[in-house]
Amino acid sequence: MSVQINLHKTHRRYTNGQESVYVEGNNVKECLNDLIGKYPPLRKEIFDKKGQLNPLMEVYLNGESAYPNELAREVKDGDKIHLIYMLAGG
Amino acid sequence: MFTQGELKRYDRQIMMKEIGAHGQEKLKRSKIFIAGAGGLGSPIAIYLAAAGVGLIKIADGDRVELSNLNRQVLHWEEDIGKKKIESAKDKLIRLNPNIKVEISYDSINQNNVMQMLDGFDVLVDALDNLATRYILNKAAIKKNIPFFHGAVNGFEGEIMDIIPGKTACLRCMYHGEPPSKKFPVVGATTAVIGSIQAMEVIKYIAGIGDLLVNRLLIFDGLDMKFKEFKVKKNPECEHCGNIRNKQ
Repeated sequence: MSVQINLHKTHRRYTNGQESVYVEGNNVKECLNDLIGKYPPLRKEIFDKKGQLNPLMEVYLNGESAYPNELAREVKDGDKIHLIYMLAGG
Repeated sequence: MFTQGELKRYDRQIMMKEIGAHGQEKLKRSKIFIAGAGGLGSPIAIYLAAAGVGLIKIADGDRVELSNLNRQVLHWEEDIGKKKIESAKDKLIRLNPNIKVEISYDSINQNNVMQMLDGFDVLVDALDNLATRYILNKAAIKKNIPFFHGAVNGFEGEIMDIIPGKTACLRCMYHGEPPSKKFPVVGATTAVIGSIQAMEVIKYIAGIGDLLVNRLLIFDGLDMKFKEFKVKKNPECEHCGNIRNKQ
């Protein structure tokens, strides 16, 4: 099972500049935890102190919003996850 | 009906079969509310004024500062200290004296938003914070006014069109409440995003093309890529969830 996580630009400083990382997992949460296992500093970017998904970040699975219950969404081999930050400037 | 001057001014639009005289007439009759006269508001207002939108109203409660001038191209060095709305109106009328420009020096809030939007066909998001965007999103849904969202940060920007009762709204897409803070941005990013917002408004008014509904378009200026994501209308959305999906 290999899932591609596409990282937001601000996360790439933790992945040696890699835009995407291949991870293992049966659902989004397992994939994110596998990603954090490879790059531990990403934990504070992706999860808040209570272990909930960073409320300023949105998860897209295969190009579609994974909301609600993003973390529980099942994934299959070849799926793509995108981590998107909310933009608020104008 | 158009004057000879208007026919000449809008010739390149009228000659397009997608717009034609009929679409140009629609633009002339339309009333657009632009929330913000800053980085996004500048290209949005300039291109809608140039395109011949009949009435543009701009609301902004700020004055022009030197630090605005890297991106807020409606305002020039000589305007520092002036109300942004007055600076904006001056430029827009000089660009196109055929249109009407109304201004409001009010910052949009929950108490004034419903009244401010009275009588407008389209609402364009040119704000610099998400809290006020949520207020506008809710008001647009209540008043059934199409809402054209745009936002920027650094070299990145995004756009999505919201048709109340039919498509995903801002709250269907966003669930957090980021704090209002100073954001980095290069002026060319606001130009790209604001220009796309103006394009979407023109398409909507003329009734042409495919709108960015249920689609979030993300622009990355550093990698020079556009990406598109699907956003679903959330039946439980706290802003639009009680409106029946008519599609």
